[in-house]
Amino acid sequence: MGGAASQLPKEMVSEYQMIFFFLSGFFLRAHKRFSELQDRDSLSSRVPMEKILTMPELKSNPFRRRICHVFSTSEPNDGSLTFEDFLDLLSAFSDSATLEIKSHYAFRIFDFDDDGTLDAGDLEKLVNCLTGDTDETRLNPEEMRQLIKNILEESDIDKDGTVNLSEFQHVISRSPDFVSSFKIVL
Amino acid sequence: MMMMELRETCSDGPDRGYHGYQQSLRSRRGPSRMSRDGPPHLDLASSEDEDPPSRTPQKLAMPMGIKKAVRQLQHMQVPVSSKRTRHSRALKHFYAEAKETLAILIPWRKAIHKIGGHFGGGVQSYFVFLRFLVVLNFLSFLLIAGFVLIPSVVLSSPNNTPSIPNGTNITGKELCMKYDHSPEVLPVFYTFFLDLLSGTGFMEYTYLFYGYYSNTVAESKGVSYNVPLAYLLTASFYFLFCLVCIILRMGNVVRVLVTTGSGGERGYSARVFTDWDYGLQGDRATGLKQNTIRYRLQVDLEEDRIRLRAASLSPGQTVGLYALRALLNLVVIALIIAAFFGIAEATSFSQREAVKWTGVVGLLLEFLPSIVITASNFVVPFLCDQIARLEKLSPSTTVIVALLRAVFLRLVSLGVLLFTLWSQITCSGKADDTDCKICRYNSAQYQCWESRVGQEMYKLTLFDFLTTMVLLVLVEFPRRLLVDHCSCKLTRWVGRQEFLVPPNVLALVYGQTVVWTGALFCPLLPLINTIKFFIIFHCKKATLFQNCRPAIKSFRSTSSNFFFCLVLLFGWILSTVVLIYSMAEIHPSFGCGPFRFSPTMWSVIQASIDNLTKTTQDFFNIIGSLAFCVPLFLLSCVVLSYVAALASVYGKSVAILREQIKQDGRDKQFLVKQIKDLTRILGVPKHEEDQYDPGASWGDHHASASPPQYLPNVHSFPSASHY
Repeated sequence: MGGAASQLPKEMVSEYQMIFFFLSGFFLRAHKRFSELQDRDSLSSRVPMEKILTMPELKSNPFRRRICHVFSTSEPNDGSLTFEDFLDLLSAFSDSATLEIKSHYAFRIFDFDDDGTLDAGDLEKLVNCLTGDTDETRLNPEEMRQLIKNILEESDIDKDGTVNLSEFQHVISRSPDFVSSFKIVL
Repeated sequence: MMMMELRETCSDGPDRGYHGYQQSLRSRRGPSRMSRDGPPHLDLASSEDEDPPSRTPQKLAMPMGIKKAVRQLQHMQVPVSSKRTRHSRALKHFYAEAKETLAILIPWRKAIHKIGGHFGGGVQSYFVFLRFLVVLNFLSFLLIAGFVLIPSVVLSSPNNTPSIPNGTNITGKELCMKYDHSPEVLPVFYTFFLDLLSGTGFMEYTYLFYGYYSNTVAESKGVSYNVPLAYLLTASFYFLFCLVCIILRMGNVVRVLVTTGSGGERGYSARVFTDWDYGLQGDRATGLKQNTIRYRLQVDLEEDRIRLRAASLSPGQTVGLYALRALLNLVVIALIIAAFFGIAEATSFSQREAVKWTGVVGLLLEFLPSIVITASNFVVPFLCDQIARLEKLSPSTTVIVALLRAVFLRLVSLGVLLFTLWSQITCSGKADDTDCKICRYNSAQYQCWESRVGQEMYKLTLFDFLTTMVLLVLVEFPRRLLVDHCSCKLTRWVGRQEFLVPPNVLALVYGQTVVWTGALFCPLLPLINTIKFFIIFHCKKATLFQNCRPAIKSFRSTSSNFFFCLVLLFGWILSTVVLIYSMAEIHPSFGCGPFRFSPTMWSVIQASIDNLTKTTQDFFNIIGSLAFCVPLFLLSCVVLSYVAALASVYGKSVAILREQIKQDGRDKQFLVKQIKDLTRILGVPKHEEDQYDPGASWGDHHASASPPQYLPNVHSFPSASHY
């Protein structure tokens, strides 16, 4: 941090940005919630998935486990989150994340088997999450088959039987509401 | 503590293989060496506000790790916002909050939301429609009370002697002026109850009916209030107000319909990928949303199945189906005509005989038209439903067709009732008939015909309400008890009640039309209707949750909202015709009411215009004259055709854009196929082929937040051509 200069150098601007960010409501709220979830006695900086899932914003979300898995950076992916992972999560679901970032993450959340594409099994699990995963609320097999066939017909452009990231983003780009519904606010 | 975490994360290992993708968003560069010099001087616990306190950066010592964190945060695109975005976000927040607070004023919001979640959009639209009618009736009542009822009550003179305006010739009309409304000489103990139900007796000469209002220009404390004029103008304004409300609501619905396309246009993939709202909290909200999504998907899948089945019929089968449909339509028309004859007979019989009988028999005869109308309104739609099953239409079309048929039945049966009444009051329009010669209406039977018409409408409203309540109590609750406790085959076949929306909506439209028709003759009818609909709302909600099972197949609610408003408009048109005819053509009663000695109700307006100044009279004369009306009409025709042209242009451009979207999809498929063919032809080795296979995993993308590569790296082609 050099002497007083009439124009702030780029580094100082970025440091100002950092100061503003650290003092912003967003960061402080995130920090407060994360420290509430952390165990006081454990020295690890990771919060296990079960504690994360007790948050009211995630507790009833049918995609909660997938969200934890996607943002977790633990080695054997057990869904535990560090504070940085947590910030990643919140920023992807925030107002200021772009459509592209949100659609990236949405694709990974919907990819239940983590193979990089949405195949029929992924789509079936996705629809079950949307309608409720109990016996009374699932669609019957006939309807599920018809629905998956329709989805693949509409969005699978290269006809390989799966929806890849680009095709997914193509569908998302035509829905104006996606950005406002893919939002979690603390 | 936060600093410790930052240190740890910065010292974490680099690339995690599969999670290498994350580098594009976090720009992690690898292990960084932490400088563990002195604790940072940044005091985070001091303030929570967005604007930092005035600290010069020179005083802060920034360890290396924090600088790294800065770069990471910059790439995370976290909300470090500029002033403009903060302002726009604050504005958006404000609007959302304002809408939230205003929405609290809307009654029954939570109840309707709960109904929508448990039973689907169709049932929810019924309750939304009912709420709209309750509010409409309440506002109408306030209008009428403010301009007619309260001034009449406040300014009425104790002796209600009718003031005869100068210049009217009433010689020979003493017979017409006789109006005997006092209750019966020997009241039996249940007379009170009977009178309450049929509006006769003690109830006839009250503020409830037209006959009570005086025709005086009430003057008190220097304030002059022309009661007849107020009565007429309030009635006209009430109709206009209802029309405006209906059209506004239709406009809203049509706007929603046009912008969202019609449901299925959005495509299943868009709905499945984008429908979930991640901001929902709590099991109940989540459950409601899941129910809604499931209903919509099931309805649309069902419609698709039916469409496929219809499209797969052979020509012979199609012709047979259409012939069957034509035949069934004829049967329906025959049924409806039969119902009309029944109603006309019942009405004339009741009007003739009811005065001759007293007691319960008299009451039954009084209610005979209502009974016949209600019976036909049950039987004919039921038969129509069975017939519709043979027609094999798609669910939403079936609903619309059933609705239109039942609307036709209900509204025209009401029209038949009114026509029969009219023919009896005015001796079928023959002015020379013995009964109608003196007073120009049938004064022998109808000393105060407006009150009688008002009473008929009042009876219809009450009977409709009683029927609904009786059905709820005596049919729906016992049915559920029976189904729950007795498990014989019959009950299992019948099953629990399903809440059918079209018949219920029609009942509402019918009730509202009756109220509109009767409002001129029974000014308190909107108040009675408000109370009636309010009670019906709560009772229907109770029966829905207690007795009905969720609809297995519910119909699409967006277009049905439009149809509800449309049939309501039909009802409005019917009652407007009645209103205009009564105001302009039929001679008001001599014995009662505010228009006692005018030749028609409308002439009051003419008389009051004559009382205005000369310039105002000239103004009105000019507006009413042909020289003004014809150019106005032509101008409105021009404006109408312009708007229609605009609408058709927009419709065409929407269709073109939709075609373009479909074309884009086909173009992309073509391009992808071309690329695959070219790569095969050029014999590009396998690993390069993977690089621009759109289906590859993202592990291959390099670490930068560039837009995803939909089309492969085109510049790799020249290298391929060197092979």
